[in-house]
Formats: sequence, structure tokens, C-alpha cells
Amino acid sequence: MPEDLAEIYRSTYRSLVRFLYRKVWDAERAEDLAQEAFARALVHKPENARGWLFVVAANMARDDARKAARERRHLTLLKSEPDATHTEPEDQIDADTRRERVRTALDQLTPRDREALLLWDAGMSYDEIAGQTGLARGAIGTTLARARRRLVEAYDAGSEGQHVARG
Amino acid sequence: MSHVDDGTLHAYLDGELAPVERARFEAHVAECAACRGRLEEERALIERASNLLALAQPPDRSAPPLHELRRPRLAWRLRVPLAWAATVVLALGIGYYVGDQSVARAPEVYGLVGDSPASNAGAADSANNALARRENTRDGFATAERRRVVAPPQQTPPRAAETQKQAAPEPQVYIDGNVVRSLRDSAAAASGVVAIRPQDSRPRVSPPPTTQPPAPQPPAMAAAIVQTGTREAGAEAPRDRLVATQWAIIRRGPARDILGAEPVGIPGLAVRNIRRSPSGEVVLVEQSIDSATVIQLFQERVVDASEYLRRDALQMRGAAVGTERLARFIGGMRVEIAGPLSADSLNRLLEQVKPIGP
Repeated sequence: MPEDLAEIYRSTYRSLVRFLYRKVWDAERAEDLAQEAFARALVHKPENARGWLFVVAANMARDDARKAARERRHLTLLKSEPDATHTEPEDQIDADTRRERVRTALDQLTPRDREALLLWDAGMSYDEIAGQTGLARGAIGTTLARARRRLVEAYDAGSEGQHVARG
Repeated sequence: MSHVDDGTLHAYLDGELAPVERARFEAHVAECAACRGRLEEERALIERASNLLALAQPPDRSAPPLHELRRPRLAWRLRVPLAWAATVVLALGIGYYVGDQSVARAPEVYGLVGDSPASNAGAADSANNALARRENTRDGFATAERRRVVAPPQQTPPRAAETQKQAAPEPQVYIDGNVVRSLRDSAAAASGVVAIRPQDSRPRVSPPPTTQPPAPQPPAMAAAIVQTGTREAGAEAPRDRLVATQWAIIRRGPARDILGAEPVGIPGLAVRNIRRSPSGEVVLVEQSIDSATVIQLFQERVVDASEYLRRDALQMRGAAVGTERLARFIGGMRVEIAGPLSADSLNRLLEQVKPIGP
């Protein structure tokens, strides 16, 4: 079993981080959660480790979002002054902006569509996605088609809005 | 076969149609120009969606070795927001206190540990020692609150220099008029605090084990970096004992080049300086909680984490857990925290670090 998990770790870690990143939108947090999920898998030794990992990770991401909101409030207590020393390089701005637009677009999907899309992007098969989401296998293609279309439309709409807003 | 629906198109393009379905689908598309057109549209859509998702990608960084995950991080389990906040508030008070004291007493402190001369930031320097490994090789005196933390030189057995504290009235920390904790308890892990407590008599240093020659002590920071597996850690302890607070100040761009990623910091705290070690491999981000409290985040790229961990495991075996809790893997980086706060607070701050951004 540890051998299996080691293999899954190699093949799935990055996917899991990516999956989590699009839920918590914080690379370090995503890595922490992914590592925590694997650490738990080492203890629990689940049957279907890959699926189990994504379920656990998704749950942790949800809990984490709540915790993060609370901690942000606490951290503001610590803020002594606005941080003026940060400057952002130009090339970074574009990447950040685009990422934010993707995030906004993803937020506009229904939870089920979004989940299916993220799971697919994490490398899951239709069968696995069906197992994770409870959707019928035959509905996965339709779900993904809808999710992709909405993502693209929402992104483009967001970009236009941005463009107009910026003049 | 009637025209195919979107779901079938996507399933086909995703390679997820069963063989029979696929054959039927292909037969239809071969004869149906409309469906061929749609097929290409959907292919483009899938590619577009995939490209969009790729824009929202975390940095591609290597995973720490699986066996490292066998030790769930303490900080994770202890994460209780309210307790965290209380700890930081408490630690801040101590930080003020230490900041004042350490400036006045700095020569004594540095002489004590054979450390570098006092530099501009006394609080920060005393914090360096917090990075150092806690020794537990001593006898009954080596309780946590009495232990003076001294970094061992690289590749040598632990050097058991300690400060033994005389019995003295226990200072208390008050918050809102209530005794929250004794200073002794709360400051146990912040070695600087222990060393310079005003009610202490002048701290004494126990002689090192006789088997150990009193080798020149590199700056505590350097020794700590050694433990993090810096490849050329020896270079961090030059003869002139350049301390971390004298490292060259650099901008964020060069720091990023060194780390291969954005340097990290604690969100919400002002970045005072970004520095680079003389060897050019370690980046130090200094952040101020207040004028007397500087948090140091030492970060280095870990090229081969497994190599590091093996070495680390050898060095850490049998050692106290203190050091381990003050360091963290973040992607391809090893980040260590130091500051005049309790280990608990440092731990929680370490949990917060993120790439320095706008």
C-alpha cells in the first residue's frame, strides 16, 4: 500500500495541488492542503486512494476557505501600517489579471459544473468524475461541455467588462 | 443516427466514448458536414477552456518527499484562530519588551553565545538564536525554559552550551489586567527572551562537552541554515562572521532569481528589507511587526529535497523537535522563521507566509 501511494503521490500530487489551487487561490495553501491530504492517506490507507484524496482535499479546501476568512480578520489586527514597499513588476500584472478573470469566470459556474471541470483538468476520467460527483457517467460529457462553454463565455464577458471599465 | 449532442462531442474529443459509441459517432460525422463543423467548434472550445484554466495555474514546484508527510505538521493541528490571535498579542508584548532590553544588553548576549558583534537590530539578532537547534543532551537543567539555544557548528555533535537561570521572581504577563501566562512559560522557546530577562543574574554558559573543542561558533543563523541543507552552507560562516542583518540588501527581482520563485513573507507586515546571503543562495526577508520586533524569514531553493531530508534526518535524529517546527517547505523552497516571539507564535506566522505581492 505505501508503494501504491508513493506512485499516486508522484503521479497525482501536482494535479491535486492544481485542483486545490483553483479552490483556495493560494499556491502555498494548496500545497499545504495537498500534502495534508496525502499525510492523511498515509494514515487511513484508503481503498481508492486517488478518489479519496480528491474528496478529502475538496472538503479541506472548503473548511480552509472558512478558516482563511477568520484569520484574515485576525491578521488585520496586526497590521500596523499599509505596506508601501511592495511593487509589482509589469509582466506580473497581466498574469495576475488574467488569473483573476479565470477565477471570476470559474465562480460563475454552478458548483457541479465547476467540480466536473476541475476534476477533468486534474486528470480524472469520466468514470472517476462520475464517482466523485455522483453524476451519471453518461452525463459527464454534457456537464463538461456546458462547463467549458460557460467558462469561456464568462471569461470573455469579464475581459470585455474590464476593457470597457478601463477605457 | 441523428445529430450528435454536445455531450457526445465532448466525450468523443475527451477520448471517453466507448468503442461502440465511438464507431457509431465516427460513421455519422463522416457523412454529416454539420456535425463535422460542430466537432471542430467543440474541439476549439475544449482547447480554449483548457488554456484558460492553465492561466490559473499554481507555480510548478516539486513535491516534498512522501515520507516527509508522515509527520503531520503540528501547526496545522493547532490552528485555532482565537488562540492564535491571543498568542500573537502576547508575543507582541514580549517582543516590545525584548526589543528594548536586547539593545541595552546586546554585548552581553553576543559575548555569551560567541556570536557576532551587535548589529543594528538587536531584536533580530537575538532572534537568530531561535532558529538554532534546541539541545536536549543535557541533564535536568535542560528544561525548556532554562535552555539556552545555541547553534552547533556544522557537522559536529551538539554543543551543549546553556544558560542556567538562577531562581528569580517570575515575571508575569498581563493582558487586560489578567495574568495570562508567566513570562517564563510563554517565552520558553524564544531563546533571546530567556537569555536577557532582566531578573536573571548574568547568564552563565556551561562548558561544552570535553570531547568537543570549543570551535569558533559561526553565527547562529549560519548554523541554522546549515541545518536546512544549504549546499554551500560553509560559505555562510566566513571568518568575518557576517551576520544576517548585514547581508547585502537586494530587490525583489534578484531575490526571485535566487529562489526561482517569489520570495515569501507574512501578509500584512511591512517588508523592511530583502537580503541575500554572501553565497547568494539564501534570501532573507525582514518584516517588522513594530519598530522593535523584526521577523526574519530565511528562504532558499531546495534543489533536491530528498537529499536534504536525508541529511536533515541524520542531523535531527534524537534532537528536540524545536527546529523542525520553525521550518517549512513551500513548494521548491525551504523557509525558516526567526523572531523574538515564542516558537508557537513563530509557527503560526510561518503558516501564514505567502509570496510577497501587492
